[in-house]
Amino acid sequence: MGKLRIGHLVEAGIWLTLCLVLFIYTFEFDQEIEIYKYGASAWPRAIILLMAFAAIGQLIQQWQRGDESTSNFIVAATDDGAEEAHHSDLKWYLSTFGLLLIPFAYLRVPNWIVALLSAEGSTVHVIRIVCALILIGIFIYYMRRNLLGAMLTLPLIFAAMLEDIGFYSLAPFFIVGVMFMMGERKAKPMIMIAALIFSLLMLLFVKILYVGLPVGNIRPFYDIGSWVVTVLQ
Amino acid sequence: MKFKTYLAKTSVAFATMALSANIAYAACATDNLPSAQPKPDGFPARALTMIVPYGPAGGSGQVASGMAKAVSELTGISINRSHKPGGSGTVGMIAFMAMPADGYTVLEHIDDASSAHALDSSKPNPASDLIPLVTSQITFSQIYMRVGDTRFNDWDSFVKWIKAQNGRATIANVSKEGSMERVTMKFITDATGMKIQQISFDKGAPRYGALVGGQVDALFEQPGDVRTFLDAGIFKPILTILKTRPSAFADVPSLTDAGLDFDPLYRFRGFYVHKDAPADRVKWLQWAFQKGFCQPSYQKFNDSKYMNLIESYRDTAGTRELITTTIDQYREVYKTMGLKVK
Amino acid sequence: MDAFNNFLTGTVTLFSDPMGVLIFFSGVIGGMLFGAIPGVSMLTLAAILLPFTAHLSPEHGIMLFSVIYCTGVYGGAITAILFNIPGAPENAPTAFDGYPMTLKGQAGKAVGAAVMCSAIGGTVSCIIMMLATAPIANWAISAFGPPEIFALVFFGLAVASSVGARTFWKGWLSILAGLLIAVVGLDPVGGIERFDFEMPYLLAGIHFIPTILGFFAVSEIFAQAEKKARGSFIAPKMSVDFPSLAELLAHKWAVIRSIVIGFFCGILPGIGATLAAFMGYNEAVRWSKTPWEFGKGKLEGVISSETANNAATGAAMIPLLALGLPGGALTAMMVGVFQMHDMEPGPLVFINSADLVWVVFSAMFFANISILFIGYIETKTIINLLRIPFQYLAPMILLLATVGAYAVRGLTIDILVMFLAGVIGFFLRRSGYSVAGIVLGLILGKIGEQTFAQAMQMLHFEWSGFLDRPIALGLLIAGLVALLGSIYGAFFKKKRIQPPMA
Repeated sequence: MGKLRIGHLVEAGIWLTLCLVLFIYTFEFDQEIEIYKYGASAWPRAIILLMAFAAIGQLIQQWQRGDESTSNFIVAATDDGAEEAHHSDLKWYLSTFGLLLIPFAYLRVPNWIVALLSAEGSTVHVIRIVCALILIGIFIYYMRRNLLGAMLTLPLIFAAMLEDIGFYSLAPFFIVGVMFMMGERKAKPMIMIAALIFSLLMLLFVKILYVGLPVGNIRPFYDIGSWVVTVLQ
Repeated sequence: MKFKTYLAKTSVAFATMALSANIAYAACATDNLPSAQPKPDGFPARALTMIVPYGPAGGSGQVASGMAKAVSELTGISINRSHKPGGSGTVGMIAFMAMPADGYTVLEHIDDASSAHALDSSKPNPASDLIPLVTSQITFSQIYMRVGDTRFNDWDSFVKWIKAQNGRATIANVSKEGSMERVTMKFITDATGMKIQQISFDKGAPRYGALVGGQVDALFEQPGDVRTFLDAGIFKPILTILKTRPSAFADVPSLTDAGLDFDPLYRFRGFYVHKDAPADRVKWLQWAFQKGFCQPSYQKFNDSKYMNLIESYRDTAGTRELITTTIDQYREVYKTMGLKVK
Repeated sequence: MDAFNNFLTGTVTLFSDPMGVLIFFSGVIGGMLFGAIPGVSMLTLAAILLPFTAHLSPEHGIMLFSVIYCTGVYGGAITAILFNIPGAPENAPTAFDGYPMTLKGQAGKAVGAAVMCSAIGGTVSCIIMMLATAPIANWAISAFGPPEIFALVFFGLAVASSVGARTFWKGWLSILAGLLIAVVGLDPVGGIERFDFEMPYLLAGIHFIPTILGFFAVSEIFAQAEKKARGSFIAPKMSVDFPSLAELLAHKWAVIRSIVIGFFCGILPGIGATLAAFMGYNEAVRWSKTPWEFGKGKLEGVISSETANNAATGAAMIPLLALGLPGGALTAMMVGVFQMHDMEPGPLVFINSADLVWVVFSAMFFANISILFIGYIETKTIINLLRIPFQYLAPMILLLATVGAYAVRGLTIDILVMFLAGVIGFFLRRSGYSVAGIVLGLILGKIGEQTFAQAMQMLHFEWSGFLDRPIALGLLIAGLVALLGSIYGAFFKKKRIQPPMA
């Protein structure tokens, strides 16, 4: 087995699985183009094949030399590989992966429920708000067991809900959330700093620079967002 | 009694003034609309948002900016433009459809929305899923060559040269399958029997650069977008894709002159509101955008973009008719082109 | 000396107009601030300001953007050095050595070098721009068609592929991942929907701004959060001791080399400053006698990258002003400024608005000079950001990045992409892959596929057509040689560049 470790096989496995899945996906858009005989899928397929080739090349090299750095140039400044990672056991990865599913659940599940109930008008909004609350509840419940995983997930939840709930309603909670993840526990500085950051941002971007941030598509958040913008401008 | 005669007199005076104004400046389509409109229940109480599904620099960005300025001048209501480019205009459309239909959000869009619906009917139909407020730009396409190119110098010699190249000649065009540009090129090549390789450019600037630098032999474009190059004497049109010659291009052959028999497709840009928006608000918006079309600042802008050569204005009903005929036209062509129509 | 007279006239026009002076200094300071605040960049500022330029005169609008361009490229270096968060892709190589220098307590030295080199690179490039805009533009537009640009992209990827990665293969896997991300959205020939995973907003494609914000800014915050969680968080040391002139003079060849590379890359539409910085850095490593010192805090790394990206600023104005062809995101927005005033950049600008051109040229010249003076003062202020406790700085950076990602295209998907890139970047930085390589692949992948398709259409799908285009052929061969060389190095040469054992 040379200098190969299980980790190397997993790494190559991930790359090759990715290549296979994406290659199969290219048949979804394998359309001819009248004026271009290579069509829409030749370029991505070439890249995927090169990727598979590189993944195998890497495996061969790891078999010969293990993890030795062979770059012609440098080891990246951002490379923390040398440090022993604290959060690296399988349990942590699984729990983080589970947490990371929450924001993507919000992007899909409400649509399924709406389609299932063939809901319309304001019922759609109610469904989306209820889904958001349930998912946030699940997040808070699991948050304390895996604080770093929660830190990775929180911004994604923020981003996933931004179009519905809007920047103006969501950002204050987001600031408090990030500070909590970063280890701040005292309520008073948290609220004060959050208010300070939020008002500075509002002042600079909304009042002075007229940036249109997402107001949210769901009532009452839409009205709150529009109201904030109107008051500030 | 006296008051009435006074009124009649003044109205005659006004009419004469209007008439003389008409002689001095060209008549504008919506001059007959009232110059002010009462706000329904205080609408709009705050700034409007205009979604533009293209970047600020292109033709749509410019028309959005010009119209927003005109409407704000007219009504005093400010309009925040929000550019959401990507996916050939589909992404901005999706974002717009997801927003509350309260009339505070309007959409700028172009004929691509119609051709997209013609190709895939699950995409919104701008004539029925939206309410057109106004169509404020309608224009035609031309074929351009580089001034100083010695291989050909007009449409006839161009066609002859292309045929002699046996399919190796090139023309820069946009990239989207089924777009107005690609369909029109299909009409032209079918009608003349010539073979020409189209080169796909999805952005304007590199497309023009390719002709400037001699990378391609010709260019397909609308005159307003290449006006700088025309005024600088770098490009010249060799075919106008209209049945008759517009005054500004009197010496360029039209489709009829060139013996090409097909109905030209137009590039048109206009403004829309969601079909569920309250009717009284829609009425106010229609007034504001239609009247905005005749604001001097907007008219000046349209003139600078060659948008005065054919009638550029359509009201709500006119736009719906334009869209419906366009969609039918495209569906017809797609069938003959063998494109999958969903 | 026609150019010199024009320059003098431009200078007088610029500084005799109080409004002009005000806008000039707002641009200088705004560009530096937005470049230097982690999470936003000069592109954020430009996207935000674009609608406002309608209220300015065309001279002022264009001048403001060109000044922001000059100073913003410099400002992005500050965050790259202090926080490991490059303000723009062209600052990514600056972080390779700049951030390790900060960790070693040499932040002042790195920033000082960035100040000096940005000013030098920018000023020299600006002077060449004034002298040579028209002839260079005419040459570039006819010599560089799609086949040449594709060949240049290939060459750039081949030489820059292993920058930042631990092994040759990891470097290429990073680049290929970037190339694949670039495929998401509509295909560049037929507008066919690819890899949208039934999320319609993905049709807009994945933009490089949110991606770079995610990979660099967001993932850096996650990494700090992890360090905090296990109690190994060390606040970076502050220092404001600038490098001595002698230290800079020692690197004069790196500076000259980077100016040449930066200027050449900058002229070419679409490639711009990013490739300039990567290649400038890469060449510095290649020419160095001690290549193993790079990436661990070597001053020359900062110097070569910062000189190259600023040298590209003046060059990028050439195709923009002379031909109306923008080379990157910021110059594309400048086209927007022109058009808001019913003008088109292009050959006519030199005829109809020569005054404007020269006001802009001299404004860029003085913006580069003022980096020297204001840069020092500003740096001493900005460096104090390091004093803010991280738990308060983190939400601020994340929200600024949110605004920064959203302002470019107004799509919430960009914010999601940014935070997802942050999570991916957090895991990747443990692994020896290069996030900078992914970003480079993403940027060049879009241009690469587009120009490849155009080239193939132009050459009638005959690969032999490249033989008739000497520039393209030369670049392809050079790229191939570089590629084979590094494959050879990866497989057969042992420890070529390890430090000599004591």
